[in-house]
Amino acid sequence: MTPVWRRLRELFARIAGSFRRRNFDAGFDEEIRTHLALLAERFAREGMSPDEAARAARRQFGGVTQLKNELWDRSRFGSFEALVQDSRYAIRQFRKSPLFAIAIVLTLALGIGANTAIFSVLQAVMLRSLPVRNPGQLVELLQKYPGEPRGNGYWTEASYLHFCKNNTVFSGIIGFSWDRLLHARTEHGVQRIITGEYVTANYFDVLGVQPALGRLIGPEDVRLGSPVAVVSWAYWKSELNGDPNAVGERIHLQKELVTVIGVAPHTFVGPFPELPTDVWLPKTPSRQAGIGLMARLKPGVTIDQARTEMAVLYQFTIRERAARSSDPLVWKLKVEVALARNGLNLARDRIGKPLLVLMCTVGLLLLIMCLNIAALLLARGAAREREFAVRVGMGASRGRLVRQVLTESLLLSISGTLIGVMLAYRGTAALETLLASGRIAQQMSLRIHPDWHTLQFAIGTALLVGLLFGIAPAWNAVRQGAAPALREAGTSTGRSTRLFGKTLVAAQVALSMLLLSTGALFVANLWNLEHAYLGFERDHILVVTLDQAANGYTGLRIYHDYQEVLTRVTAMPGVRSASFCAPAPLSGAGAAGFVNVEGYQERPSDKRWIEISHAAPDYFRTMGIPVLRGRAFTSRDQSDGRTVIINETFKRRYFAGRDPIAKRITLYHVTLDPEPKSYEVIGVVADAHYSEIREQANGGVYLPAFHDGFMNANNLVIRTNDNPEHLIRDVRVLVEQVMGGRVPVRRITTLNAQIDASIVPERLIAMLSGFFAGLGALLVGIGIYALLAYSVARRTKEIGIRVALGATVGQVRRMVLGDTISVVLAGLVAGAPLAIAGRRLALRLMQDLTVQSVAPIVVGGVGLILIALVASYIPLRRASGAHPLQALRHE
Amino acid sequence: MSKGKSGELKRSEVLQGTLDLMILKTLDAMGPLHGYGIARRIEQVSEDVLQLNEGTVYTSLLRLQQQGWISSAWGASENNRRARFYSITKAGRKQLLEETENWERISGVIARVLRTGGAK
Repeated sequence: MTPVWRRLRELFARIAGSFRRRNFDAGFDEEIRTHLALLAERFAREGMSPDEAARAARRQFGGVTQLKNELWDRSRFGSFEALVQDSRYAIRQFRKSPLFAIAIVLTLALGIGANTAIFSVLQAVMLRSLPVRNPGQLVELLQKYPGEPRGNGYWTEASYLHFCKNNTVFSGIIGFSWDRLLHARTEHGVQRIITGEYVTANYFDVLGVQPALGRLIGPEDVRLGSPVAVVSWAYWKSELNGDPNAVGERIHLQKELVTVIGVAPHTFVGPFPELPTDVWLPKTPSRQAGIGLMARLKPGVTIDQARTEMAVLYQFTIRERAARSSDPLVWKLKVEVALARNGLNLARDRIGKPLLVLMCTVGLLLLIMCLNIAALLLARGAAREREFAVRVGMGASRGRLVRQVLTESLLLSISGTLIGVMLAYRGTAALETLLASGRIAQQMSLRIHPDWHTLQFAIGTALLVGLLFGIAPAWNAVRQGAAPALREAGTSTGRSTRLFGKTLVAAQVALSMLLLSTGALFVANLWNLEHAYLGFERDHILVVTLDQAANGYTGLRIYHDYQEVLTRVTAMPGVRSASFCAPAPLSGAGAAGFVNVEGYQERPSDKRWIEISHAAPDYFRTMGIPVLRGRAFTSRDQSDGRTVIINETFKRRYFAGRDPIAKRITLYHVTLDPEPKSYEVIGVVADAHYSEIREQANGGVYLPAFHDGFMNANNLVIRTNDNPEHLIRDVRVLVEQVMGGRVPVRRITTLNAQIDASIVPERLIAMLSGFFAGLGALLVGIGIYALLAYSVARRTKEIGIRVALGATVGQVRRMVLGDTISVVLAGLVAGAPLAIAGRRLALRLMQDLTVQSVAPIVVGGVGLILIALVASYIPLRRASGAHPLQALRHE
Repeated sequence: MSKGKSGELKRSEVLQGTLDLMILKTLDAMGPLHGYGIARRIEQVSEDVLQLNEGTVYTSLLRLQQQGWISSAWGASENNRRARFYSITKAGRKQLLEETENWERISGVIARVLRTGGAK
């Protein structure tokens, strides 16, 4: 074992030991007590009195306090006094150049703040387990069509009971359905839209959740279908004022009155961490909605065993579905058993990958910051050569110098971290808002609070960063220590230090190019999505969603109300046209079915889902969807209601080369209407996107919205002359007047806002990666500036002499600029493969990126060159202004 | 300040090195022992030639532990007190072997030097 290795081993042991004073004390005291007692016993056996024996033992052992101090000194890294001394000295140093220290601390604060903020989101989305007993045993049961990214979790009551009765792998299966649009009002409160979860009798028991107050829903409640509710901690706090006597309070829920029997613990928000449940209600068999299933594996049972058994039990569901549905793809369904430690985490599906990309981005940013600070410290370290030389000359050991330099870096990084964590708090609040800006009922309301894990992360980062950027100056200090003392300051900087500084800047350029090019990629992607042609004109459209089901109010009355709304809205100033439709465009909702077309044969397994929408007259004109053949709906179609309008893709598939007008199609409307119905095609319209921006063009049909005296659409779309937001208030007043409160307005939004809400993950990643890339580029600019300014300052004398010898301004500029250019070019050359790899990684992680070209990489490179030019402007001016006399006097 | 100390340090370092080696050897031969046991064993083997403050053993033990040559765990002593038991690690055995060879070589050289010196 070499001596160096030995020293290192000891150093690590000491660093680790420094944090264990309390342990050390207790351990040492006990060990020595035992030793002394054994020794005393031995003397006692030899015939001494107990007192004598104890004294003799102490004598033979030697000074305990002295030994303890010596051992403690040896078991840690430097003494506390030395640390205080180092810190004081460091602070004095910083006060001498406050701008420098402030710049470093702020840079760090940004880097650590960004990392902490993104990490806390990542932690909340990806890593946080459900706050229940043994979350690792939980699985989710899903059914999946081949090729679907994520299965759906809608099961029937019969399937649920079948699984409960026949499985041998689960210690319990729980079922729950949910309604995210419940109207609720406490006795003294106001009406709110909340999320209710209808749960099976064993729900809380299987999850292992204990009430914070009162009791939870049990078998009796479900058997009797009692009107009782368990409320969430958040609901209890906000709507029941955190009243400790809230049990027994009543809540108006839709048309029912339910009694609060308990409050859930504050950590538990149901199976969807980002879509918290407000109230839990007993699930009665009469509720027909599909139920989600989660199960707890028996101890010792693996998930594969569960999969095998579920594959068998699932046959029941397939038969059940095949008996009820005309869906020809039923037989292709598969059951899936997925781990559900983190709950049914939809956020993980939606923003998990963007978050990973962002985490990489902020990690890189932090690295750039470290390099930047290392370069700055190095430049300053060069100025401190003399100081170090003096200290070595006065007898300071190298270890002491290294400790001094490391103390300085750690002090900087810890201050940076403190501010950074504060920034992270603000940042996470902003991120929460951004995440919550999604679609209604899909808004992710994650509780992102920097917690213990996050804090650990921040502290770890601070230490790592401090060491990382401290190493370069520390290494330099050691080398300086070895250098002959007291050489002329300002001339002793070795070539290697300068080269090292250049390498640091080049590395920054390379990493920054990676950040800039991926940032540009995501921003371009967002721009594409925001400006994609979706098949309709997206500006100047207002979407009013009415809550038809709120009061169970249907039939002819609603039909006439809606007609009147249409007439009066159309007459409003600023409104061009208006219509009704369902589902609302790009709201993420859709209806689908299968079709048989006259004169078109296909095997059942080739059948495709067909999008089904309902549209009132004027819909296509309002939305700006071109009618290609035939005609749009008129009020005539509303009475006979057997007409259909098809889109282009539908026509291409089923009527290739034929004229579809007046042909008949048969529609199996799977979700709404169990009986197939036959319709006559009256028109063909251009393709438009239905539920998502990113969807493939699908075959689709439109049916009349007003139909047989019924109203099948609840979304009022209005095309306005200018900014539709100005009309929001007037439209709300008008609709409420006409409806008289029978049908409440659920929401009014512009179509663009609705579209924006559907691309939250894309916006998240584009905004943040763009921002971080900008930040990284700024840092590189500062780095280049510092490098140049430093080297110009160093070479003032040389430049002066050159000018005195007849060098022209141009030559001097070229000389100085040559340095920068070579550094930037080296960085770009190293950065290009990084950027290419980064792009490949981004394309792989984010499969539906709309940008495929390499343009973003070019943007990154060109951007950096521009930044370098801007950054070198001032030092360049200074260099070319160098006067020979001034330069010579400089010494 | 560093000058004045180094003379002392060198003397004690020789002694420390010896003590370290003896402890390693003891642990290698006897298996896990607590500090008191180690002190007794050294006392016994050196036949009271080597008089030392028993506390010094702990300085050695710490040093050996920092090098990863011995490890420690809490256990119960003969009189049923909690005591830390030290045992030699694999790296420690290797070190012991090296040091023993060194020691034998050096002591052989010294013995020879002393003998020839005496013959003169």
